Amino acid sequence: MRQLTPYLQKPLVVVGGALSFGWLLIAILAPLIAPYDPLLTLQPLAKPLTQGANGEFFLLGTDMLGRDIFSRLIWGARTVVIYATLATMTAYAFGLIFGLIAGYAGGRTDAVLSFLANVVLSFPVLVLYIVIIVTIGASPVNIVIAVTFSSAPAIFRIVRAITIDVASRDFVRAAITQGESTGRILFVDILPNTTGPLAVDFCLRLGYTAITIGTLGFLGLGLPPPTPDWGGMVNEGRAMAIAFPHLVIFPCIAISSLTLGLSLLADGLREVNEAKERQA
Amino acid sequence: MSEPLLHIRDLSVALPKGADRPFAVKGVTLDVNPAEILCIVGESGSGKSVLTATLMGAAPKGLSVAGGEAVMGGRNLLTLTERQWRQIRGKDIGMIFQEPMASLNPALTVAQQIEEVFELHADLPKAERAARARKLVEEMHLPEPDRILQSWPHQLSGGQCQRVVIAMALAMSPKLLIADEPTTALDVTTQAQVLKLIRELRDSHGHGIIFITHDLGVVADIADRIAVMRHGEVVEIGTAEQVLKHPQHDYTRALIAAVPSLVPHDRPAPGAAEPALDVTGLNHSYGAKQVLHDIQIAVAPGRVVSIVGESGSGKSTIAKNLIRLIDPDSGRIAVAGEDILGLKGSALRGMRRKIQMIFQDPFGSLNPRRRVGPMIARAAVLSGASRAEAAGRARELLELVGLDRSAWNRRPAAFSGGQRQRIGIARALAMRPDVLIADESVSALDVSVQAQVLDLLADLQKRLSLAVVFITHDLRVAAQISDEIVVLSKGHVVERGPASEVLTRPQHPYTRDLIAAAPGRDAF
Amino acid sequence: MSLGRFLIRKTAIAIATMVAVSFLIFLALEVNVEEVAVKVLGQYSTAEQRAAWLLQNGYNDPFAIRYLRWLGNFVTGDWGQSTFFRAPVMDMVLPRLAASAILAGGALLVIVVFGLGLGILAGMRPGSLLDRVISVFSVVTTSIPDFASAVFLSGIFVFWLGLLPGASTMISGFSLSELILPVSVLGLYSMGYLARVTRASMADVMNTHYIRTARLKGAGMARIVLRHALRNALITPVTVIMLQLPWLLSGVIVVEVFYAYKGFGTLLYDAALNQDIYLIEACAMISVLVVVLSQILSDLIYGWLNPRIELGAKA
Repeated sequence: MRQLTPYLQKPLVVVGGALSFGWLLIAILAPLIAPYDPLLTLQPLAKPLTQGANGEFFLLGTDMLGRDIFSRLIWGARTVVIYATLATMTAYAFGLIFGLIAGYAGGRTDAVLSFLANVVLSFPVLVLYIVIIVTIGASPVNIVIAVTFSSAPAIFRIVRAITIDVASRDFVRAAITQGESTGRILFVDILPNTTGPLAVDFCLRLGYTAITIGTLGFLGLGLPPPTPDWGGMVNEGRAMAIAFPHLVIFPCIAISSLTLGLSLLADGLREVNEAKERQA
Repeated sequence: MSEPLLHIRDLSVALPKGADRPFAVKGVTLDVNPAEILCIVGESGSGKSVLTATLMGAAPKGLSVAGGEAVMGGRNLLTLTERQWRQIRGKDIGMIFQEPMASLNPALTVAQQIEEVFELHADLPKAERAARARKLVEEMHLPEPDRILQSWPHQLSGGQCQRVVIAMALAMSPKLLIADEPTTALDVTTQAQVLKLIRELRDSHGHGIIFITHDLGVVADIADRIAVMRHGEVVEIGTAEQVLKHPQHDYTRALIAAVPSLVPHDRPAPGAAEPALDVTGLNHSYGAKQVLHDIQIAVAPGRVVSIVGESGSGKSTIAKNLIRLIDPDSGRIAVAGEDILGLKGSALRGMRRKIQMIFQDPFGSLNPRRRVGPMIARAAVLSGASRAEAAGRARELLELVGLDRSAWNRRPAAFSGGQRQRIGIARALAMRPDVLIADESVSALDVSVQAQVLDLLADLQKRLSLAVVFITHDLRVAAQISDEIVVLSKGHVVERGPASEVLTRPQHPYTRDLIAAAPGRDAF
Repeated sequence: MSLGRFLIRKTAIAIATMVAVSFLIFLALEVNVEEVAVKVLGQYSTAEQRAAWLLQNGYNDPFAIRYLRWLGNFVTGDWGQSTFFRAPVMDMVLPRLAASAILAGGALLVIVVFGLGLGILAGMRPGSLLDRVISVFSVVTTSIPDFASAVFLSGIFVFWLGLLPGASTMISGFSLSELILPVSVLGLYSMGYLARVTRASMADVMNTHYIRTARLKGAGMARIVLRHALRNALITPVTVIMLQLPWLLSGVIVVEVFYAYKGFGTLLYDAALNQDIYLIEACAMISVLVVVLSQILSDLIYGWLNPRIELGAKA
């Protein structure tokens, strides 16, 4: 608990954490919070704060198929939390391992891995997704694969840079002169010293992934309907947004608040890390 | 006696809440006279740098003047507004800093930076500014003034940069010059030249100079008067003669006692033992540039060989070769008779145990995430000890290097620089090495702590009969600990021999220069 | 390293990257010839039709041969026929690219002016109120996805205030007012990032010893910032501007789709929705080419701005 104190003193962390963990909680408790089944057709295009014919209450209105937007937003939180986290974590698994190896080994290994990472990073992200999705189709698993493929190189680069920095410190040299094995040097000496900046990057990356999944949904290339997905909701409601702005405004607020929360959290973590470093 | 140039009375600077003490500077009273060098001496944390920064109206963030005054030319400097300060800085007070390279703007040429002082404080035509800048550069004894003026800082050496900084500080002939550790980052021979320059300036221009340093050798060379600071207070002030020869305060006495002497101890002649470390014909290049030429070093068990050299001499490259962080172009490095250069994989790992290193930076050499006890025990395990043995050995070593039992469960951040160096020593010794390499291992430490760590090293070395390669830029330190000294210059060994021989009857001109440049040679 | 050698090295890397990229694209889209046939001839084509088409177009050759032939065609300007638009791909891509360049150019202008400006203001006095406000603003703008800020801005300026048109179809000729919203959305997203980079760089520089030197020479704030800080502080951000291009290209797709702007982004989008593989291939190749060229430009700018660093020393 004492270790958490410096974080809780930062308003950025508190606001960012509240937004991020708030959505996490909503995602976990979705079945309990959502008033209706997100796929159930109730009454089309009800405005927010209105009563349905059968006495239902539509807090945020309904969409053109008559599904309750509030319930869909809550279930959409679950979609984004599950897939964004899963995709970011698999991307991290690859980026971390290859980044550690390239940063520590250097030389030809590093040159080859870095070149491959640069090749993938030369694609504008959305272009890469489009190529992948056109090839393998838009399914939940494929979205995770696409995100992994496109984010892992960026994570690789960050991990590699941090590894090079940490590996140049004398305590790593000391471990080498003690005859410590490479595996132990990587995972016991170097990895624990990278967690500060990587935690920051993880939060940011989670936000990017949420944005990407949302954007794919918005473009109609994301999770196939009728999965409740914030980006998809904007896409479906766009045609009628002039008459019924609630179709698009609320999902936009939802995704923006989640990604903003993650950015603020990352920012706060970074500030605390920097303050710690200055003290040391 | 003339009026003092600067009169500081009862000056206190408060630290922010939550710091380890309430005041960074407390109740300081002192005068600076024209044509006088006042040295302020103190170890890290003594408040000497905060004091001078406050005098320039540039106290670090969070610090505030809590009382007192600093009067110069009838004005209290502590109450000036930023606008008034701008008139004074650079014109009435000049300042020189510790990191000469970093003190110059990398994107402007030397000429632009010197001339800027005239742009700010004097209404001179362009040609006149340029002419004055050139004259200043000449006065600083810089070679090829025209080339220097057109250069960017990154094209100059550290010593040249410091001369440029001094030229800027002196451009308007300020009455007061504040120099904060101006020679600490320089090599000894360069340091000696810059000190000479500063003395000349005092004599020829009559500047009053506040010179801050931690190095009593430098103080002995340059001070007219000395103020000794500790924990933010001036504990003793007086003429150089008084303070150095007849110190009144215990702390001053302890500081003076801790200065290592240039006179080497008497050492027994070497026995006929086989060398524990035998380096022959070592050559090393970085790219096309050869930095080590045919290096030979032999160290017998129980003996200390110091490698002495300035920056760029290649001494750290030797260390890296010895522990096989990098491999040489050619040569042989034998530990206990076995050439370690050919070894690979597990054979190499097995060999590493026998040759261990103590690093320079006490903050970078310990993994911040690991607890001290297990860290040392791990080294013992790697040398082949069982877990129980290793824990026992680690506990013994902690005691041996003078650390408390409670150190076991703490992380490195909980320790001071000197304590961390002790932990580093314990970790190296846990492997039961035959050869110990100490790469500038005491250079980052305050002088009193330095003396303690040196004593510890010397003691352990004798007791454990270790062969030690001691790498340093500091002749005084080398004099204290070495049996033998090897002088390295530009990658060549220029002189070697028993410490007493090399230090008292140097043969090579470079060795003579080094010894002549050692600050405070006559005083200590 | 001399400028000539630097350029040769960078060009070599760029070419290697492009070859690798082209291989990836071709591998993804054309390794399965059956699928290619389905995508080109449509779902309702018969097996015989597809087999004949494959034979006729050389699809029965080994993969390596097909790749090399495709690459050769691409380099010599034969980008194939769009199956959806029934027109040569090259004739479609180039005008659309020009249309998008207008959008991206406008966005770049917004990004440079506001990103650098706000970053410098914030970094001049780190920790000040202005710094906090600008920092929060830039976090907010970089956190909101393009499509969401498009919804918010359109909500305000189109539906609520009625000041701007909600679509940028340019049906009745070029219209500046139709450009404002898409450019703003694009600019807003990347400008915050640039502002943050600039702020960090500026704050670092303001903490250096040479700024202290300047201050202790008696220089005032304006002089310190303009003469001493800016040149050093802008090196990183100016380099970063060029590296924004991949993000900008992604944003262009979203914004063009949202505002129905007839540019490169909508073209790629239509191609994707209609499985128009030759068009996708060309669009992907072109967008990567733009990115790779911008990287070379960024390296050159870096070397030019920084007297300390020799060209190529950065990587």
